[in-house]
Amino acid sequence: MKGDQLGEFEELVLLTIALLYDDAYSVAVVEELGQRLERPLSLGAVHRTMQRLEEKGFVHSRFGDATAERGGRRKRLFIVTKAGEQALQEARRVRNDLWAGIPKAAFGGGIA
Amino acid sequence: MSRTPASPRPPQWAQRLLTILVAAHLQEEVLGDLDELFYKRLQRLPAFTVRLLYLVDILLLLHPRLWRRASTTEHTASYRSLTDYPKPFVLHPAMVRNYLKIAIRNLLKNKAFSFINVLGLSLGMVCCLFIFLWVTDERSVDNFHTNGQNLYTAYQTVFATGQVDGNYNTPLQIAGNQRIFLLEDAKKAVPEIQHVVFYATGYELPWGHPETFQLGERKFKLEGSRASNDFFTLFSYPLLAGNAQTALKDVRSIAISRKMAELFFGNPYKAVGKTLRYENKMDLMVTAVFENLPRQSSLKFDFLLSWEAQRGSLEWSSNNFRTFVQLSDGTDPSLVEAKINRFLQPRLALPKEVKTQIGFQAIGDQYLHSTFVNGKPEGGRIEYVRIFTGVALFILFIACINFMNLATAQSVKRAKEVGVRKVLGSTRIHLIGQFYSEALLLACLAMVFTMLSTLVLLPAFNSLTNKQIPYPFTQFSFWMGLIGLTFLTGMLAGSYPALFLSSLEPVRILKGILRFTRQSIWFRQGLTVFQFGLSIILLVATFVVSKQTSYVQNTHLGYNRDNLIYIRIEGELMAPHNYHLFKDQAAKMAGITMIDRSSEAPHAMGFVVDDADGIAETNVDDDAINWEGKPKNASVGFKPTSVGFDFVRLMNLTVVKGRDFSRNNATDSTDAFLVNEEAVRQMGMKQPLGKWISAWQKKGHIIGVLKDYHTHSLHEPIKPLIVDVKEYEYFGVILVRLQAGMTKQALGNLERTYNRINPNYPFVYQFLDQEYAKLYQSEEVMAKLTTVFTALAIAISCLGLFGLVMFSAQQRTKEIGVRKVLGASVASITALLSRDYLRLIFLAILIASPVAWYAMQHWLADFAYKISIEWWMFALAGLSAFVVASLPVGIQSIKAALVNPVKSIRSE
Repeated sequence: MKGDQLGEFEELVLLTIALLYDDAYSVAVVEELGQRLERPLSLGAVHRTMQRLEEKGFVHSRFGDATAERGGRRKRLFIVTKAGEQALQEARRVRNDLWAGIPKAAFGGGIA
Repeated sequence: MSRTPASPRPPQWAQRLLTILVAAHLQEEVLGDLDELFYKRLQRLPAFTVRLLYLVDILLLLHPRLWRRASTTEHTASYRSLTDYPKPFVLHPAMVRNYLKIAIRNLLKNKAFSFINVLGLSLGMVCCLFIFLWVTDERSVDNFHTNGQNLYTAYQTVFATGQVDGNYNTPLQIAGNQRIFLLEDAKKAVPEIQHVVFYATGYELPWGHPETFQLGERKFKLEGSRASNDFFTLFSYPLLAGNAQTALKDVRSIAISRKMAELFFGNPYKAVGKTLRYENKMDLMVTAVFENLPRQSSLKFDFLLSWEAQRGSLEWSSNNFRTFVQLSDGTDPSLVEAKINRFLQPRLALPKEVKTQIGFQAIGDQYLHSTFVNGKPEGGRIEYVRIFTGVALFILFIACINFMNLATAQSVKRAKEVGVRKVLGSTRIHLIGQFYSEALLLACLAMVFTMLSTLVLLPAFNSLTNKQIPYPFTQFSFWMGLIGLTFLTGMLAGSYPALFLSSLEPVRILKGILRFTRQSIWFRQGLTVFQFGLSIILLVATFVVSKQTSYVQNTHLGYNRDNLIYIRIEGELMAPHNYHLFKDQAAKMAGITMIDRSSEAPHAMGFVVDDADGIAETNVDDDAINWEGKPKNASVGFKPTSVGFDFVRLMNLTVVKGRDFSRNNATDSTDAFLVNEEAVRQMGMKQPLGKWISAWQKKGHIIGVLKDYHTHSLHEPIKPLIVDVKEYEYFGVILVRLQAGMTKQALGNLERTYNRINPNYPFVYQFLDQEYAKLYQSEEVMAKLTTVFTALAIAISCLGLFGLVMFSAQQRTKEIGVRKVLGASVASITALLSRDYLRLIFLAILIASPVAWYAMQHWLADFAYKISIEWWMFALAGLSAFVVASLPVGIQSIKAALVNPVKSIRSE
């Protein structure tokens, strides 16, 4: 499954993991991304996506520390792998190319 | 963050639900996430909402992804920390490869141990395998009939005067000289019965005798039976020629075996339609030729005469014939029993106090269950089968105990391995796998040995047990049995090391404090006691069985049966003048001491006469016995024997009161009886001499009392005997006492004389001592087998003891060293080491003796005349066990005591 396509939501989650860097775990991603998207995210969706990302080799996970508010359970921390970074760069390049290729007139710019 | 106890908590039931739903390796993080969200939300939302959200989250979580097991791809592997590594499955091929590798290395490292182990296990398995062969063979008798599951043999249970008796006879009635077989109409009365077959061997059961057939110059004696018409329909004895439906229909018909056809006609396919002269009385037409009987047929015959021929001129003195029935498919025999009995009761015409019931026994059971217990056929050879099965398992068990003990002896070395393995992440289950694999590997090796040795020893075993068991290469069940046995042995033998060693704690092992718990020591000692207990029981059994056997064979029967032969009176000899001619001529010849006649062979004398219902005569009629002062209700029937004047001297019998017959006494041949002491007892006479007796239409007086002697096997009590003189009977046997050392010459002379006087009959004689030997065949086999087994059991037990002492010497190496340094003598150390073990042997003797006593009493109960079990047998058994056991114990202890203490203490 390596080198798989990066889905749209997957891309968002992956970006969030990169953003949170040292403390990227499911609940943190849910909160961060939820705030930015201004809509509530379900833990399940994020959790599944992170698993998928790991299967595709875009992130790497390890167990972090246990905290009291987790009932003494450890959290799983995620970090973006080299492959993940490349996939993000690629997605970004595609978007940038697209942005660059959009005619000015398309977005109602123009005559002025 | 700190929470007050009062603060709400995530719903526990939902968590429990998740532990069921979520795959194990994901549980921690998922549950953690949910809790964290829960507490975070609590800070800004009411508890109720938070709870609701918690559940919503769970619902949204539900996805096949969550309950997928951890796959073993490299990515998911990264899901685990070191301690979380997957345990490979116990029987994973790689694991098994590893087990075997280690096992083989271990075997090679301890060659002596492995050898002892394999040897012990092989011995045990050889026993088991032979017994398995023997038992399978015994069980397969009579199982070859195609309708086997619908075939039954009838027996009757007779309740009379508080006694229950059973036999294989079936009721018949005598009306004038007509015999009515009551089961003949059974088919009409009970529709489930498809066929009824009557079957009888030659008369004088159980001493069926060969009968003479003649074709021109060829004359042979063969043993055969009579059977009614449906015989070949009911049973699956394949015919080479002839018609199965009609073969026995005609009065003058005879069906013969392939062997017999070859004897007379050279070719079995040419025999049908030819005639054979039977007993020089009549010509019989061969109507069918059947294939020689399979080894597994309990009925044995070389020819079958038509039942109808016998009907009118029955030679039988009783209802001694078998009745076989075939029921329709799927019929419950007990149902038919009930119907038959309802049908029979009114027709039996029995006295009130007597009740007869017919029962049906499946044909496959008749060979093993032929002795009647409480009127039902439940005892018999099956007991030997059971005993041997038990003994085989005992011996295997002893061998397995050995293996355990030897494995324990090595366990000090192996414990380290266990420790290291556990530290490196083996779980207990893997170690169990390891040890079981080793045991199984050994068992497999032992199996190879076993197969080879059974192959080599099978002929010897066959001659020992009087069987012709082929090596069952082609039998599926045999191979299954073999594999099963190997597996069983391996699992049994490996269980102790596997379960015990694998339970050790690595920390304690590696620290070097390997103390065996009291429990395990108890367990091992218990095993040893058990082992030796079994061996001692077997030892006692050996003594008792062999002593009883030799007692039985050598007991003075009360008459001298050496150099005594008998010849049937038949053909020309039935004419009295020919008999006397023969007697006079033979008596003069070299090698012949004395010659006389009797109405039956000595070992067939004194049977109790039953009438048709299987009960001794109660009413006085012509045939019955009557005597002076006979009580009204006495129910004793005797079968009188008629003999010549020299009989008492020829047999070397003792007359205890009165006198022997004498030719000088004119009235002796008309008015004289001799009775034995048992007959006197049964007739209840105080002063027998001069009392009158009437027997078989002859009335006379008792002139003498014979000392009791055994006519039958010692299984049976002495029978009452009434003897009179009849020199001119047309039936019976000629008794000849040969001179010791002249047997060959005497037989030659007899044969020449016989052939001159009785040319139509072959000269056939039987040695009485051989006839008696036949009676004790199964005891013979028992005695031999018990001896063999006992030797094996003891050998194996000693091997085990050897290992045990080695083990304890190893355990106490340092102690012994220190003791020696402090001045202990070799003798005292030897004593120290041996004491524990010899104590165990002693305990085993104590425990085993009563068990052995009980078992042997049970076995002896079968004999009417038996040795008494004496204390010295136990003493001897115990002593032998002791002596034999002290060999390995002594050798090992002395070896340990002789070790230089420097060596044993230096290691630190």
